Parts: sequence; structure tokens; C-alpha cells
Amino acid sequence: MKNHIRTLLLFGALTLSYTMSGQNMAAIRINEVQSVNTDGYIDDYGCRNGWIELFNTSYGTVDIGGCYLTDDPNDLTKYMIPKGDALTKIPPRQHVLFYADNLPDRGTFHISFDIPNAKQVIFVSNNGRTIIDEVTLPEGGIPANKSYGRVVDGEGSSEPTHFLQRSIRVAQKERAAGEDHGWAILDKVTPSTNNLTLDGDSKSTTMGKTDPYGVIMAIVAMSVVFVALILLYVVFKKIGNRAVIKSHLKEAASKGDVASVASVKGKESTSAEVFAAIAMAFHLYKEDNEIHDFENTILTIHKESKSYSPWSSKIYTLRETPQVRRNK
Amino acid sequence: MILEASHNFFSLIGENLNQFLQYTGFANATVGHIAMIIIGLIFIYIAIKKEWEPLLLVPIGFGIIVGNIPLFPGLSVGIYEEGSVLNILYQGVVKGWYPPLIFLGIGAMTDFSALISNPKLLLIGAAAQFGIFGAYAIALALGFTPAEAGAIGIIGGADGPTAIFLSSRLAPDLMGAIAVSAYSYMALVPVIQPPVMRLFTTHKERLIRMKSPRAVSKREKIMFPIVGFLLTAFIVPSGLPLLGMLFFGNLLKESGVTRRLAETARGPLIDVITILIGLTVGCSTQADEFLRLKSIGIFVLGAASFFIATAAGVLFVKFFNLFLKEGNKINPLIGNAGVSAVPDSARVSNLVGLEYDKTNYLLMHAMGPNVAGVIGSAVAAGILLGFLG
Repeated sequence: MKNHIRTLLLFGALTLSYTMSGQNMAAIRINEVQSVNTDGYIDDYGCRNGWIELFNTSYGTVDIGGCYLTDDPNDLTKYMIPKGDALTKIPPRQHVLFYADNLPDRGTFHISFDIPNAKQVIFVSNNGRTIIDEVTLPEGGIPANKSYGRVVDGEGSSEPTHFLQRSIRVAQKERAAGEDHGWAILDKVTPSTNNLTLDGDSKSTTMGKTDPYGVIMAIVAMSVVFVALILLYVVFKKIGNRAVIKSHLKEAASKGDVASVASVKGKESTSAEVFAAIAMAFHLYKEDNEIHDFENTILTIHKESKSYSPWSSKIYTLRETPQVRRNK
Repeated sequence: MILEASHNFFSLIGENLNQFLQYTGFANATVGHIAMIIIGLIFIYIAIKKEWEPLLLVPIGFGIIVGNIPLFPGLSVGIYEEGSVLNILYQGVVKGWYPPLIFLGIGAMTDFSALISNPKLLLIGAAAQFGIFGAYAIALALGFTPAEAGAIGIIGGADGPTAIFLSSRLAPDLMGAIAVSAYSYMALVPVIQPPVMRLFTTHKERLIRMKSPRAVSKREKIMFPIVGFLLTAFIVPSGLPLLGMLFFGNLLKESGVTRRLAETARGPLIDVITILIGLTVGCSTQADEFLRLKSIGIFVLGAASFFIATAAGVLFVKFFNLFLKEGNKINPLIGNAGVSAVPDSARVSNLVGLEYDKTNYLLMHAMGPNVAGVIGSAVAAGILLGFLG
């Protein structure tokens, strides 16, 4: 049994570590592509080339050193992104640009092919086999000095949508209607920046406009607080009831009291003898001069007035359960 | 020649002394600095003489003094100067990793037995969070932005680490004033709460005796942090840092197999973080940052939020009692303990209860809503962060 658990743990750890490394790479998306660039973005050598923009969709830094870019599905390792370059570590939710100029000698970000006639662009994991993201470019190519990109950075499927050479406004409408058309010919060419410019209002500003008096916030937030704590209440009420029944059963079973066990289980109500005894005790107490209070070791219903209480005792702290010592 | 040389020599010494004088606190002191140093001294006096929250008020009070020593800018010693020692220590506040570590310690020292044995007390902890949202609404009315109002409102949760955590996210500019206000009112719980408790309860209600809590099994104690965390974190994931650490600390305590870890969390670790958070929060109250009209507004709102939270807790118990059978009723004097100033507000419940019945000890009963308040305020902080962050 122990060996099984160990094997399971080992398998779990291996799976987890594999998934974790996979998750990092899997967060990279091809975000925007420009094939023909004659009057746009200028690279660090003062030249205009086509380019491929990658986007890190995660909230952690991802190193893409050792991964591959290609435009040929039969040659997935066409250009290896050099390892050991600090600039290949893409910060959370940020972009990186590769110049498709077929001049890899110019540095890490100049790839070994150009893309004016490319049919697709593929980003491949550092094992050279696993395709992380690919995009099929529009039939007939991307219009010169226009770019083909995701409507919202990193979002939408990477399914080929080349036949939908529509504007970003159309794509946004489709997106709002719940249709998943992630790619469009973008209105603006946006190398190394967001394809979709977010509106300027922060959550706080929006909340200030929609709820100027704080009433909605108070109602919603208090409802959430109550729901959370009511759920806890319900769960622990159930658990508590079970625990009480269990402890009673245990106690009764340890005494060998079958009747009590049955009673705790709810199969049998409290016996008539018990009620008779209680009634007799009340009767004796009320009618016969409080007879019980003159007897030793008899349960009484008189109020015990003493100033001492375990709650006020200094030997019981709030933080530790008092330890009970049992003499053998 | 000799005279001229000696003249040059003495004038050089004079120039150096004059330059040195420009670096001293005396040359750079303002009325604001002196006022803040006096406030720091008052904090230390209250902590030592009255013993009100001394573990927090002594570091904060001394921190206020440290932070208000007039400095010549550019020496890389001030808390707001990048790379200074104080600035590095202050990053735990700015980045918000001190408060979760304190919650780890709180979890490791909290016994949730009272709550587990009588889980309906959880609802009192929820009701007391009205203070947060009451203060939020008032702050909005006074012209604070929603983010600032949220950070100020959390003072009503009576939880210093939560207040620091949230204000560092929502309103870093106001963090010093919010933290000092939160800790000040936490120290003043024995003064603020009793009049409110008396105001909203009748003599008969104050005498209500509650059933003794049942013994709680070890299994229940172990289940509580796990189930509690899963339920609350799934509902409010933005409260993850606080809720996660609180329940993790409690699991260390209750599991019974991580005694060393639990002792470190509730001992040396929380002590170290308390020293650092107290000192740096105190330091952050530099006169030019702190002495503003907004700070006065924050203190007024802090008082309002404590009042609302206490009243809401007490009134909720009275309302709740309408649905409870005789014998199961809750003493409304434990309603104040829903604010999470642990264990001070529970002690206040006990002391006020004893004033009316010397044999009615409410402490253990009040600990239920008290620790529920910790959970409630962490959940509330998560909600505010989710809405406004």
C-alpha cells in the first residue's frame, strides 16, 4: 500500500513539474504579423521589414530562449531563438517583436526567413516538435503596410480565419456577440503594443460612476460576506451534529449500553423510565421541602452560586486546549 | 602670511561646521515634525502607561519618531528614499507581504473551537462588517474616491494587517494614516465599545446566559481550516493572501504534527513581522505626508466605522434572538466581538457582561464572533480589492 502511495506521489510530482514547464511556454501566443512593411516600423538597423509579434498571456515571466519560429510546417526548427539572451524573457502580459528579414546575423530578434509570401507562422516549443501556436495568414496575403492580429491581445482561437478579411470593428462586434473570431486585419499597426487599447477608466472610477453612494457596494459585499460565512455555518453545523452523535455513540458503546446506542442513533426515543424519574425528581423538589438538596451526590436543579468558573481560570489559556492528565 | 593662513584655516572650519549644521535635524525641523514627534511620544505613553495594544503602539510610536527626524534629502536614509535601509524594510508593507505573514501567525495562535462548537456565531462576525461598508458610504459622501473610501472603510474591520494590506493596494498615499488610525482605534476598543453596547441592549438582555460550548473533536479542528479556506477562497479569490495564510497557520496548529512550524509562526515569526510592520508604518507617517486634512477625515471615519461595526454586531444578535428558542439565545453583549480586534473586543464583552452578572463569563462565547470577524474582514477586504483594485 505504502509503495502504491509513493508511486502515486512520484507520478503526481512528475506530472506537475511537466505541466508547470508546459504552462509557461503554452502562455505564449503569436499576436500580430506584418508581412510587407514599406512605410512603417523601423528596426534597430534602420530598416523596414515584416515582423512577428509574440505576446505572453500569463502573469509570470516566460523565457522563450530555445524555442523556434517558422513559416514551414515541414521544418519546425527553421529559426531557433538563441538561449541565454536576457531579452528573450518576456515579462508578464508583454510583447516581443521578431524582424522577418532573413538576417539572423543581426541578433536574437532577426529571424532566418522573411514572410512576404508566407502562408502561416508557427511558434514551436524548445523541444522542436510541439507547436505552441500557429496562425494561417489571409489568402492573397496581408495587404501591404497592414497587420493581421488578434482583436484582443492573446485572446481568441488560433484556428485559421484567413478567409475572414474583415475590419477590427466587425471582429469586435462578432466577439461581443459571443463568436470566437480571434483574428482580423487591424485598423492600426501596433508593433510591441496592445492591439486593443483599453478604456481609461479604472475599476474604482467605474464604481464611482455606477454607485456614487456606496449602497450597491454595501449590499453586494455584505451579501457575499454573509453567503461565505453562512456556507461555513451550514457545513460546520452538519459536521458538528455528526460529531456529537458519534461521540455519544462512542460513549454509550464504551459503557456497553445498547439502549443508549439505539437512542443516540434515533431509532428509539428516551425511555419512559427516564421521564418518570425526572418527573419524580421535580415532584420531590416542589412538594417535599426540597428534599433533594439534603441528599449527597444527588443531581439538583438548584442554582449553584459560586464566583469561580473555569472560564475565568488562568490555567486555561485561550490558545491551547487544556491537557487532561489521567492517573493510571 | 601666517595670519592669512590661520584665517583661511578657521574660515574653512567655519564653513564645514555651517555645512554640517545644514545636515542636522535642528536646521531642517518644521512644526509638522515636532507635532508628529509629540504624537509618537503620546503613542508610547499610552502603550506603556495604559497598556493599550503595547506590542503595536510601542513600535508604531517609536516609528513615528524615527520617521519624523528632519532629514536633509539625498542622504539615502529616509523611508521614502529608494535603497535606504528603512525603504527596504518598508517594501514588506508596500508590496503587502507583511500582513499575510502576520495572518499566518494569527492562524497558528487562534483556537476556533468556540466557533466550531457554535457555528451560528459566524453570522455575528459577518454582521459586524457593516462597519466597513458604512464607513465606505460616508467616505464617498465626503468626497473620497471609491478606492480611497474602500481603504478607509476597512478600518471598521478592526484588523490592522488587513487595513495595511488593502490600503497598500487601493490607496498607498493614505496607508500611513489608515494604519495609525486602525491601530489607534483597536487600542481604544475598551473605551469605544462599552457605551455602544450599553446603548443598544436592555438590562434583561445583558443577563442572558449562554450554553456552555461542547467539546470539539480534533478531526473537526483539522477540517475547519481546510473547509473554511476552500469555501471562502472560492467565493472571494482576491482574499487569497490573507485567507490562505490564516487557515494555513491554523492547520499547522491543529494538525498536531507540525508543532515546530506552528510555534515558529505564532512566536518568532509574528514577533519579527510585528516589529517590522509597526516600525515602518510608524516611519511612513512623515509630517509632510501625514499632516493633511485627509488624515483628519480618516480618523473621523475610523471612529464612525468602529461605532457602526459594534452597533451592527449587537443589533444583529438582538435580531437573531428573535428566531432562537429560549435557552439557545445569545447574549447581545458578544455582538461587539464581531469586529476582529482579537482578543480585545472579546475581553470587552466579558468585562461588560461581568458588570451585570458576576458569574456570567462571556469570554469563550465572544471568542466565536471574534475569530469569525477575522475571517469576515479578510473576506470583505478581498471583495473590496476585487471591486476596486
